[in-house]
Amino acid sequence: MATLADDTVVEMRRSGDSRFVAFALLAPALLVVGLFFVVPLVLSAVGAFRSTEGAFTLAHFAKALDLYTRDLLFTIEIVVLSTLLIAAVAIAIAGYLTLGEHPRAVAILRWLYRWPLFIPFVVAGQIMRTFLAKNGMLNHVLIGSGLIAPISAQSMLDWRGIVVAFVWKQAPFVTLLLAGAMAALERQHIEAARNLGAPRWRVLVDIVLPQVRGTLLVGLVLSFVAMLSVLSVPLMINPNSPTMITVDVAYRINTFADYAVANALCLLSLLLAAFGAAFYLRHAVRKVEDA
Amino acid sequence: MRVLSDVSLDVARGELVALLGSSGCGKTTLLRSIAGFVTPQSGRIRVAGRDISGLPPEKRGTAMMFQSYALWPHMSVAANIGYGLRMRGVARDAIAKRVDELLALMQMQGFASRSVAQLSGGQRQRVALARALAVDPALLLLDEPMSNLDYKVRIELRHELRALQKRIGITAVYVTHDREEALTLADRIAVLDAGRVVQYGSPEEIFHRPASAFVAGFMGADNAIELTRDGDGRLRSSRTNGGEPVVAHFRSDVARIDASSSASDADLQLHGQVVQTLYVGQGYRYRVHTDGADVWAHASHRIDEGAPVAVVVPRDALLLFPRASSAS
Repeated sequence: MATLADDTVVEMRRSGDSRFVAFALLAPALLVVGLFFVVPLVLSAVGAFRSTEGAFTLAHFAKALDLYTRDLLFTIEIVVLSTLLIAAVAIAIAGYLTLGEHPRAVAILRWLYRWPLFIPFVVAGQIMRTFLAKNGMLNHVLIGSGLIAPISAQSMLDWRGIVVAFVWKQAPFVTLLLAGAMAALERQHIEAARNLGAPRWRVLVDIVLPQVRGTLLVGLVLSFVAMLSVLSVPLMINPNSPTMITVDVAYRINTFADYAVANALCLLSLLLAAFGAAFYLRHAVRKVEDA
Repeated sequence: MRVLSDVSLDVARGELVALLGSSGCGKTTLLRSIAGFVTPQSGRIRVAGRDISGLPPEKRGTAMMFQSYALWPHMSVAANIGYGLRMRGVARDAIAKRVDELLALMQMQGFASRSVAQLSGGQRQRVALARALAVDPALLLLDEPMSNLDYKVRIELRHELRALQKRIGITAVYVTHDREEALTLADRIAVLDAGRVVQYGSPEEIFHRPASAFVAGFMGADNAIELTRDGDGRLRSSRTNGGEPVVAHFRSDVARIDASSSASDADLQLHGQVVQTLYVGQGYRYRVHTDGADVWAHASHRIDEGAPVAVVVPRDALLLFPRASSAS
């Protein structure tokens, strides 16, 4: 006959077994994350603070800031401006998809806006080169339509080109998230506002956006971090100083094999991304608390 | 797909009209057409003499109360109620004053700064009504506003809504599938079936003089039996030769099962067997299998299933319709 003590032992053994199974299931994932992400990250961070003799030093950061402060500020300006423009474009497109009254226009826009999602950054950079160059398509169109004289055509392959490429590439991603969240809203919330006299733009601002601002924030934070890490676009459109940090990192490694300063620049980039992550986590925590 | 056709209704100022019908009959579509969320292929909608057919919802001057209330969860009670006034450019002080008045009218003083997420179903319903009334609309549209409430709360609010509507004299169109609600609240009822108004009249008229077998069935006279009417008005079994074929509708609460029945010759008597018994509190409801059809009848006492009984229906409680129209 089994006693209470026997039952407890069996129960403990079972719980020990299930814990082992859970760990065995998680182990491959943990191993991959540890070996391919955490260890290189830690080594890179350590490398940023280590002199050639192996002692602790801040010299690499001093050099990085001395050489690249302008590029750091340029990176922040580009990414912040792009994030704001992405927000404006995504709100406009998602808003029209939700509140638009011409079914055909909505269907065409829904079909069109997602295309850049499937185009890699490097291709986006190449497209912008042919589009925004001095003899590019944009200027051809502007000159052809008589809007500008041929002599005043100028290349936009500078900070403007990077911003256009980023917005073109990332706005559809944020729009996708935002339009999904807007579509999930109760339709009667929108109808109630219109019924009380709100034009569509007021419905967007007063009723729809406040209810999807969490999704918008998450999309913008993810885009902000993604843009910080893009090398191909600034390299193709604007590789000359001032340029983005990613170009500088590639330059330190490829030209000078200067991993220490590159590591310091990477850590500074990580610091910028951490601002985004902090926003994201704050929102996630608030969402859990609300639930 | 055509949802409504040949609909023509007039609503007098200060009147509450109920659109009554079963699910899918087009009553909500009609209400949404008035609000401007559905565009009719043809026809006109006029409010106080103004043709609003071509106007967008925000320019129609109607206010709608939705089935789900559609209160905005990111706004307080006061912000929800005052939104329509904000859209009309009313000054902040005037909005606050009007919100206070409406909260007092709804007996919800002290709730202004609450989040709508903290309200009960009945309180939400009151806030939704206050929001619609705040803009002083030419026409109030109510889309099954009681359907999400408990029975007890629904009864209370029904009486409150009727009293309020009478007091402020607002013109309203009320969509419901609940005949008791329509009878209690409305000055006039429009019964809809398959996208058409099949009868439009006062609650008494609809209840006592339904225009068709469909309306009779919808208003509770759901017992139907086929009979023949002689030239002198006497009713006989449908198998009798000659006479006019009719279908007789009656409510189960007027059909009594009584062994010592004092039925007159004019009353309808049906003989059959009890096949189902339901206890309904104030007595019993029986399904009686008769020669012509199964009918429901009431009795104050318990009768065993299988017992032979006579169901008596007073002649004046019978609603007779030509048999061909019974399918309408």
